[in-house]
Amino acid sequence: MTSRRTETGGRIDRFRTIRFTFDGASYTGHPGDTLASALLASGVSLFGRSFKYHRPRGVLTAGVDEPNALVTVLRGDVREPNVPATMVEIHDGLVAESQNRFPSLSWDIGALNQLAGKLISAGFYYKTFMGPVIGPLQGTRFWMFCEHFIRRAAGLGRAGKAPDTARYENMNAFCDVLVVGSGPAGLMAARTAAEAGKRVILAELDPVLGGSANWSGETIGEVPAADWAAEAIRDLQEFDSVRLLPRTTVWGYYDGNSLVALERVGDHKERFATDEPRHRQWTIRAGSVVLATGALERPLVFPGNDRPGVMLASAAKRYANEFGVLPGDKVAVFTNNDTAYGAALALKNAGARTVLIVDVRADVSADMRAIANELEAELLTGHAVVATEGGKALSGVTVQPFQAATGTASGEARNIHADGLLVSGGWSPAIHLASQAGARPEWDDGLQAFLPPQPTRKWTGAGAFNGAFSTAESIAQGVAAGMAVSGGGGQRFEPPAVVTVAGDPKPAPVLEIRADGKSFVDFQHDVTADDVRLAHREGFVSVEHLKRYTTLGMATDQGKTSNVPGLAIMAAALGKSIPEVGTTRFRPPFAGVSLGSLAAERFGDLRPERLTPMHDWHVEHGATMYSAGLWHRPQIYGDPGETIEQAYVRETRATRGSAGIVDVSTLGKIAVQGPDAAEFLDRVYTNMFSTLPVGKARYGLMLREDGIAFDDGTTWRLGERDFLMTTTTANAGKVMQHLEYFLDVIWPDLKVAVTSVTDQWAGAAIGGPNARKILQSVVTGTPVDDTALPFMGIVHGEIDGVPVMICRLSFSGEMAFEVYCGADWGTHVWEALMQAGKPYGLVPYGLEALGTMRIEKGHVTGAEIDGRTTARDLHLGWMLSKKKPFIGSAMMDREGLIASDRLQLVGIVALDNRPLSGGAHIVEELHEGNPHGSIGYLTACCYSPSLGKYIALALLEGGKARHGKRAFVSDPLRKRFGPVEIVSHHFFDPEGTRMHG
Amino acid sequence: MASRIGVERLSPLEPVYRSGSHGRFEDGVEVALSEIRPGSIVQVTAWPGEEQSAAAAIRAVTGLNMPDGPGGGVVASDQHAFGIAPGKFIVTVESEGLVAALVNAIPPAMGAVTDLSHGRTIIRIEGPKAEWVLAKFFAIDFALPAFPLGAGRSTSHHDIFAQIQRTGADRFDICVFRSFARSFWKALCHASAEVGYEVQ
Amino acid sequence: MLITCPYCGARDVSEFTYQGDGNRQRPAPNSQDLDAWNDYVYDRLNPAGDHNEIWQHSGGCRTHIRVVRNTLTHEISAVQPVRPETKPSPVKPAGRRGARP
Repeated sequence: MTSRRTETGGRIDRFRTIRFTFDGASYTGHPGDTLASALLASGVSLFGRSFKYHRPRGVLTAGVDEPNALVTVLRGDVREPNVPATMVEIHDGLVAESQNRFPSLSWDIGALNQLAGKLISAGFYYKTFMGPVIGPLQGTRFWMFCEHFIRRAAGLGRAGKAPDTARYENMNAFCDVLVVGSGPAGLMAARTAAEAGKRVILAELDPVLGGSANWSGETIGEVPAADWAAEAIRDLQEFDSVRLLPRTTVWGYYDGNSLVALERVGDHKERFATDEPRHRQWTIRAGSVVLATGALERPLVFPGNDRPGVMLASAAKRYANEFGVLPGDKVAVFTNNDTAYGAALALKNAGARTVLIVDVRADVSADMRAIANELEAELLTGHAVVATEGGKALSGVTVQPFQAATGTASGEARNIHADGLLVSGGWSPAIHLASQAGARPEWDDGLQAFLPPQPTRKWTGAGAFNGAFSTAESIAQGVAAGMAVSGGGGQRFEPPAVVTVAGDPKPAPVLEIRADGKSFVDFQHDVTADDVRLAHREGFVSVEHLKRYTTLGMATDQGKTSNVPGLAIMAAALGKSIPEVGTTRFRPPFAGVSLGSLAAERFGDLRPERLTPMHDWHVEHGATMYSAGLWHRPQIYGDPGETIEQAYVRETRATRGSAGIVDVSTLGKIAVQGPDAAEFLDRVYTNMFSTLPVGKARYGLMLREDGIAFDDGTTWRLGERDFLMTTTTANAGKVMQHLEYFLDVIWPDLKVAVTSVTDQWAGAAIGGPNARKILQSVVTGTPVDDTALPFMGIVHGEIDGVPVMICRLSFSGEMAFEVYCGADWGTHVWEALMQAGKPYGLVPYGLEALGTMRIEKGHVTGAEIDGRTTARDLHLGWMLSKKKPFIGSAMMDREGLIASDRLQLVGIVALDNRPLSGGAHIVEELHEGNPHGSIGYLTACCYSPSLGKYIALALLEGGKARHGKRAFVSDPLRKRFGPVEIVSHHFFDPEGTRMHG
Repeated sequence: MASRIGVERLSPLEPVYRSGSHGRFEDGVEVALSEIRPGSIVQVTAWPGEEQSAAAAIRAVTGLNMPDGPGGGVVASDQHAFGIAPGKFIVTVESEGLVAALVNAIPPAMGAVTDLSHGRTIIRIEGPKAEWVLAKFFAIDFALPAFPLGAGRSTSHHDIFAQIQRTGADRFDICVFRSFARSFWKALCHASAEVGYEVQ
Repeated sequence: MLITCPYCGARDVSEFTYQGDGNRQRPAPNSQDLDAWNDYVYDRLNPAGDHNEIWQHSGGCRTHIRVVRNTLTHEISAVQPVRPETKPSPVKPAGRRGARP
C-alpha cells in the first residue's frame, strides 16, 4: 500500500509517531490523526462491509456523520462496536477491528448477498418471514432457523461479553449560555457572551476546538483561520466564567433547556488516568443555547456511489488540510454546487491532481471555470457520473450527459481513470438539536435544505446551522447570537476580514442520477433509491412509514447523510415537493452514547444500602444479610452447616423457650407533633388516638381514601402533643407522604409537624418468657414489672448509661419489649442486652424467625395488607371506629368491599408435612394436569416449631366459614400439590396468655 | 465521640472512615472529606405566621441570626442554622442538650422541636474541587452567587435525601439520614478519587 | 422537565412526585354522599392542554405545590404552594458574574 501522507502541512504532530493495529496489522500515525486519517494515510481504502449486501466500503466523511467506516475498538477484552473511524483518535496501543465480515475484510463470504440483491430489497424480512411456513417445512421452526443466520449475516459490530471496568460519571452543570459547536460562529458567540459577563459552556465534539477553521484553509484577520481560532480559544480560557468542553457531543435537548452531552475523557489515552472516568455524561441546564452546529455535506445518489474511494468533497479537503492526507493522487469531482471546487483546490495545494470535474449544472459561473482552469482539470458541465469501477478501491468513473428534466443520463458514455471521487450534493444544516427542542424545520429552495425556523426564547442559532455557509457571515452571526443571549449586552466589534475561495453554496436541485445499478441513499442500512421507490409503489406514502419500512435513516448515524436525498427521491415518486412531503423529527441521541455513561456509577445493586445502627454487629456475628427494600436486615444468624430452615427453627424455639432479640430499627418512625397531633391521628387512623393516655402505645390501622387497608403499626403518646408513630418498614416512605399530603392539601389548618425520625432511634425487640428478667437485670432508673410497665405501657430508663425508652408490645406473641435508644448508642445497648441475656440463652434472631413467629400468631404484614384487602378481610373490623370519620371511612362500606365472597385471612396447615410456598393456590378439588378452580392463595408460609407442622397464612374465599375444612394446595409451577386443612389464622396461643404474662 | 452521657457515640462511618490521602492525590489533594459530629442536630418547625418568632427563639438560644427567605442560613464557628423548607430549620451546635433549650424557647403555640442528633449524619467536603465533586451527585447550582455562604438547599441523590449548607467559600456540610450515611460516604469517596482527597 | 418550587427554585422533575389532579374536591369528612366521594377518589380530568396538578417536592423541601402544566408541551405556566400562607419569594440568586459554569 502506498502512503498517502503529504510531505508537509496538516495539523498533526509529525515529530511523534503512534503505533496501533487494525484487523491485526500494525500501522503508524501521528498525534492529531483519527483512525480514519491514519489508515487513509497508510493507503488503506477498505474499512468495512455493508450492513445487508456486504459491499466493500471505505470512508465517506471525516466526522460524526460517517455511515461506512464503522469499527470495533478493543481495550483488553472490552469491545466497543460501531464506532466511526472518523471519531477515533489514535493512541499507542489502539486496537481496532473492521466489522460485518467473515472470514476477513478482503474475502467476505457474505458478499454473496449482492447476487441476491433483488430478493433482499425493502421489506424483505417483513414479506418473507412474517407469513406462515408453507410446503414441506410446514409446522417446523424453519423461519426461526433462518432468522439465526440472517441475524448473523446482517448487522454491524458485535458487542462483547467482558465486563467493562472503566468508570463512567454523571455531571450536572449550570450556565447562562451553552454554545454547541466551536467553529467561527460558536467561538464568536461564546466570546461575546463571556464579555457580557455570562457563564458560558462551549461544547465541541472534536478534540480540538475551532471547527471548520482548522481545515478551511481560509485566512481570517490576516492570519490562517486555524491560528485565528487558536487565539480566540486562548482568549476564552482567560475567563473564569467559561468552561470549554472539547471531545463533548451534545446529544440531547430536553424540556426546560436541559441538554445532555457526552464527554469522552479517556478514549484518546493509551491508559485511562487513575480514578478518572472514561466518559462523563453532562446534564447542562442552560439559560439559553446558541446552536452553532454547522452543516453536513450530502452525497449524491448514483450507481456505485458507495465504492471505496468515493468521498464527500469537504471530507477530502479536511483530510488534506487538517491531517495531511490525500484521498487519491488523481481525483475526479462530481458536484451539483460550487463548494466542491474549493475542495479540489485544497487538494491541489496538498499535491493531488484533479483530472475531471463533473457538474450536473448546465453551466457554471466564470469563477468556477477559472478554478477548473487553475486545476488544469477537464470541466464537464451538464454531465453526471453513472458508474464507478474498482474492487476494494476506486479505479475509474463513467460519465454521461445529464438530462435535468428527467434526472437521467444518456448519450455518449466515457470512462475516466481516477483513484478518488469527490462528491458534493450540497449542504444540510445540522438542525438536529433544534428539531429535538421542537422546532419545525423550514425548506429553503435556494439551498435545497431544511433550515431552522426563527429562534425561540430557548435557543438561537449562528453560522452554517442557519444556512449561513460563509465564514464571514458565520462570524457576524456568532457575534449577533452572543449579543442576543446576553440581552443585547456585549460590545460590538469590527468583524475580521475573511479571505476565501469564491463560490455560491446554492446547489442545483439534483440529488439523484437515475441510472442502472445500485444507488445508495442510506449507506449504513444499505437502502437504495430503488428501495425508496419500491416502498412508494407498495403504498407507503407517509414519510414516517417510509422511514420505518425501508429503515432509511434508522441506523446508528441517524440518517445524517441520507435524510434529504431520501426525501428528494420520495418526493419525486409522489410527484410532490420536498416541503409537501415533510421531514421526520430528529430524536436523541445525535450520535452514539455509551451505555456505561447512562448508568454512570449506578451498577451492581443500583441502590444505596440502608444500614441499621447494629449492622456491623450482625455481620460480625454471622448474620446472613437480606435486602428488604433498601434496608439490609439479618435473615438468620446461621451456625456452621445449618440450613435456613434449621436456623430459624432454632432461633424461634430459643425465643419461645427463653428469650430472643431482633433488630427493629428499620420500622418507620414518624414524629407527629403539635397542638393538633391527636386530632390528626384520629382522622388518619381507623381507631381513636385522642383518648390514648401519655405514656401508652396503641396499635393503629390506616386505610386509603378508597377504603382499602393501607398500613398498620403502633403509635406511642410521648407527650400531650407529641406522638411517635411507627409504620411497617416497607411503607415508611409512603405513610410519610400520605401524612404530608393531608396536612398540606386537605387540612392545612391543623398545626401538626411530621418528621421522619426512623434514623434517630435504634430499636431492639426482646421477647420470650425470660425477656422481662433480662430487662430487670440491665435496666436502671425504672421498674419494668407488670405494674410499671403493663402491656402497651412505655417507660424511660437507662441501660448501661444510655437513656432508653421501652414499650411493652409484642409481634412474636411472647412477653416482649421494644427498647429504643439514640442510634449512635444502638450497638452499645444491644451488646448490653446480649450480655444480660447470656444466663438465659438469649439469641439474636433474624427476619425468618420474626416471620415464623408472626405467622404462628396470625399477625398481618405487607403480604396481607397488599393494597387489595380491607380491614374486615383481615379480621381487623373491630378497629373501625364508629364514633368519628377517618380517611377511608366513607368508602369502606361499599358493596364490593363487604361482599361475603371476598378473600379473607385464614390459616393453612399442610397435611402431608411438606413445605408450602407463598403464592401457591388453594383448590377444592385437585387437578394436577389441568389446574383450575382457585379459591385463594398463600401469602406467607413457614415451618412452625410450636406446632411441628408446615403452616401458612392465606387469603381465601369465604374465609372463616371454611375453618376445619380440607382443601388442596395447587402450585403447578413448582409442582407442589397436596392436602391441607383450613384453620383459624391464630395458630398459636390464641388467648395471648404468653404475651400478657 | 464522648458525650455528656459518658458513653461513646458510634458513627455510622466508623469502619469505612479511613484518615489519610486517597485517590489520585499524587498531583495534590483537591478536596478534604470529614464527618462533623455536632452534639445536637435539631429541627425546628414553625407554624405558619410564627416563622419570625421561631427564628427569634433560635437566636435567643444560640445567638444565630438567621436571614429571612428560602434556604437562608447562618454559620458561626461551631454552630449552624439554615432553612430546609417553609417554616422549617435545621440547627446544629457542638454541645448536647440543644433540644431541651429549644423546647423551652419554642412553646407549642409557636412550633415544634424535633431532636435529630442521632438521626442525621453531617459530612463535610471542602476544597477547590468541592463544587465539582458535588455536581456529580446533585442537580443544583453550587456556584457561590447562586448558593451563597450560609444558605441551605434540600435536594436528593437518587434515594438519598440531602440537606446541604454552604459553610465556606469552598466548603459544604451535607446532612443525610444516618442509615444512608455509609453508602453516601463511600459514593462521595469514590467520586472524589479523581481529584485526590484527604479524609481528616 | 423542570418545576420551579416556590421555596427551592427550579429543580429537575425527578425531585418531585405527582400527587394527583388538583381539581378534586374532598367531601366533608362525615359526608355520606358516595357519588361525591366517588368523584373525589376516582374521577380525574385528562385535558389536552393546561391541567391543574398537585406535586410534592419530595426530593427537596417536601412541600406540596399547585402546578398548571400543559399536558401537550410540558410547559408549566404557574406554580404556587398549596398552603396559601406559605408564599416565599422564589430563590433569586445574586448576579452570576465570575461564577464557574
